[in-house]
Amino acid sequence: MSADQQTSIPDLPEALASANLGERSVSLNIDAELYPLQAVYGAAYIFIDRCYVFVDRPEAGKFRVTLAAKEGVEEVEALRSLVGEFANELISCAWRHQVTQDNRVAVETVTVQAIAGAMGEPSLDDLADFDFTDEALDDPLGIAQSWEEKHGRKEPKAEADAEAEGGASA
Amino acid sequence: MSADATKELRFPREVYAGTAVDEAVKVWGKFADFELSETEDHWVVKVTPKHEGAARQIIGEFGNYVLGLTVDRGGVDGGEA
Repeated sequence: MSADQQTSIPDLPEALASANLGERSVSLNIDAELYPLQAVYGAAYIFIDRCYVFVDRPEAGKFRVTLAAKEGVEEVEALRSLVGEFANELISCAWRHQVTQDNRVAVETVTVQAIAGAMGEPSLDDLADFDFTDEALDDPLGIAQSWEEKHGRKEPKAEADAEAEGGASA
Repeated sequence: MSADATKELRFPREVYAGTAVDEAVKVWGKFADFELSETEDHWVVKVTPKHEGAARQIIGEFGNYVLGLTVDRGGVDGGEA
């Protein structure tokens, strides 16, 4: 977004937010230490039906979000309202992100326990029917054998036995 | 289309996924011409809308589309951070 035609917004520090009436847009500078990128994504996503949203990274530790109204915004007061709503949404998203991070382990633990509990304990009939042998499957065609097992060179003893059998039959 | 309608968008790599930019360019190819390049910190896209009367809308919606795809993918690193 162009920096010309930038004007300050009433009641907001110029370093924090500025408006561009020509482009019907407003820019908000955000501290990345206070608001993680996931929170910025969340707030920006909510506004993409009303605004053209662009997220910039002017310097390390800062985000700059530019909201360009799609329609119906001609005055600086309307832009101020827009940036105020965005800031509120940003706080909400940042807080929800923090709560999610804090409760992540608890949520995962409860979910795993719930899934395991839903499966239920095995009944005596299930245990009686369970096949505890190591033979997983019958393999009459030798499909599960490796190439070496099937076609590889035989052990010397096996070769000698095979020759002896051949000699005896000749 | 006049060169005046061309606008350069610089998407920060830390914010926007490169795959999202590529996919958005493919989808919006019928509404605008795109010229892609990159720097160390940005995906640079020069957008020339095919309909000058709707230039603001096309460029803005293209930017929204890239942002939406990036968010849908969980961010630049797919939500691994």
